[in-house]
Amino acid sequence: MKDLRFYALTALGLVLFPFAIHPIGGYGGLATQILIVGIASIGFNLLLGYAGLLSYGQAMFYGLGAYVALLTVSRFFPQHPNFWLAIALAVTFVSLVAVAVGMLVVRLYGIYFALLTLAFAQMSYFLVFKVFDNLTQGDDGLQGIASPPLALGPWSIDLTAPLPALALGPFGDLSDIHYWYVFVAIVTFGVIAFSRTLTRSQFGEVLGAIRENEERSRFVGFDIARYKLAAFVIAGALTGLSGALRGLYETSAAPDILTVDTSGNFVIYTVVGGVQTLFGPLLGTGLVMYLQNVISAKTDAWRLIEGVIFVLVIVFLPGGVLGTLEKRRAGRRNIVTNALRTTPAEALPAAGEATR
Amino acid sequence: MDAILHTMGLGKRFGHFAANSDINFSVRPGELRAVIGPNGAGKTTFFNLLSGLVEATDGEIFFKGDRITQIAGPRRVARGIAKAFQTANVYPEESVFQNCRLAALAHTQGLFSLEVFRRSTRLGGVDRIAEEALELVDLAAFAQTRAGDLSHGDKKRLDIAIALATRPQILLLDEPVAGMSIEEVHKTDRLIRGLAKRMTVLLIEHDMNMIMGISDSITVLHQGKILAEGTPAEIRANPRVQEAYLGGHTEGEL
Repeated sequence: MKDLRFYALTALGLVLFPFAIHPIGGYGGLATQILIVGIASIGFNLLLGYAGLLSYGQAMFYGLGAYVALLTVSRFFPQHPNFWLAIALAVTFVSLVAVAVGMLVVRLYGIYFALLTLAFAQMSYFLVFKVFDNLTQGDDGLQGIASPPLALGPWSIDLTAPLPALALGPFGDLSDIHYWYVFVAIVTFGVIAFSRTLTRSQFGEVLGAIRENEERSRFVGFDIARYKLAAFVIAGALTGLSGALRGLYETSAAPDILTVDTSGNFVIYTVVGGVQTLFGPLLGTGLVMYLQNVISAKTDAWRLIEGVIFVLVIVFLPGGVLGTLEKRRAGRRNIVTNALRTTPAEALPAAGEATR
Repeated sequence: MDAILHTMGLGKRFGHFAANSDINFSVRPGELRAVIGPNGAGKTTFFNLLSGLVEATDGEIFFKGDRITQIAGPRRVARGIAKAFQTANVYPEESVFQNCRLAALAHTQGLFSLEVFRRSTRLGGVDRIAEEALELVDLAAFAQTRAGDLSHGDKKRLDIAIALATRPQILLLDEPVAGMSIEEVHKTDRLIRGLAKRMTVLLIEHDMNMIMGISDSITVLHQGKILAEGTPAEIRANPRVQEAYLGGHTEGEL
């Protein structure tokens, strides 16, 4: 029952989202971009928030997803461009890359893990940009590769077509959004459901235990490296899916989506929104991308302002926007339950522990 | 080959320093064995070799006749070798019950499970194993307390309960009563005696009264090697053991 309510509200939110941002300068295209990138942020959050792994190389999965999807349409199967095949090949390829890279990095900790993922991302950038340049068009990137229509049983849907016209007052018009948004919203819904299910699942429970106390987890008999590898590959696959959607949506991909900038964006989006929260990564992605869009239209100093926002969130909202809100609510509840639960005799050793 | 666990020429070198060398050690099933020795004798290194926390540089370890020298820590736990840590090692943010539940889950599911859809609550036996472990260490009343809020002694007993929830055949206890009050020591003493009826127990301890009282036999380590082995009475009467404890480790060089 609670699940049903959750999913109904999530669906409602996704339906209203592109129209709700209309009065503040948002538009259907931005809403679509936010959800596409948000999928990668959700994946990144599974990695950082639940597995405790800070990857600085997510751009590799994102970029490769975009390239493989577009190449599937333009080079691998140009006679029969197929939307689903492009997505499937991109996600499969990226997952395999994630397995290979993951096996080399998951035994590393902290800065070493971050640096090695960064190094792999830089290598993939170089490979795409220089080594396979006759396939990837090097510096120019892939351009003008129209997304194949979405084949759905007997139907074939042109995702770039707008929805029927219907005036919605201050919230714009129904035709402001394209079928792309509808499709991406459905995928996002699935990804949110998956993320929620995973974090509550047996796998998510063990992942949380490993994050909380890795040594104890090793000595109750969990194979730490395999858990981390699985989280790394799941995050990689979601990032690859996000990249594939981005490539097909933008009809182009250039090497700059494989740079550190892109990797850093996922970190910023997730941390701003709230690590370890279900909607935080999506919220952070939306917030930062919206500001990026609105502010960069007015001034060149966007990077500076982005930096300031990041600093302010870290300083004043540790745990991110959503994380801080949730903590505040949980905190109020905890004060009450602690008071009910803890007798003075029990409280004493706990206090001693805290001052130790 | 009656031993449940035995080592042959086991050693661990850190650079040029031999923390353990040439250890031929063996425990019978059901035995309660204490490992003692002066500070720096290599007791903890020896336990770390047995649990798989560190890798041996020499020799072999056998568990129930199988060579486990190269097998990683989690796999040894799965086979039935569990350990409680010198400093209580628990999940501080989880409830006492959940601490044991996680260990019981590891025992039930194995090393890894890619169950990303269903919750662990569907696994019936897990709760039961956790409850049993808590009852054994007498912490059932604190099941819903946050583990980080437990007193020092209770935390150490919770660490033992976590090890028990992996359903071990052999339990390694590294200084189980260190830092405990006298009442807590008595309680833990009774607990260990009870456990020894169910499984093989190996313990490192400095509390001589306790060791002499509860051990079936004692192994004395000195300078990384086995100095003596025997019943508590034999160890107490052994002049070399007395020398090692009283004379310090420079004795042999004089």
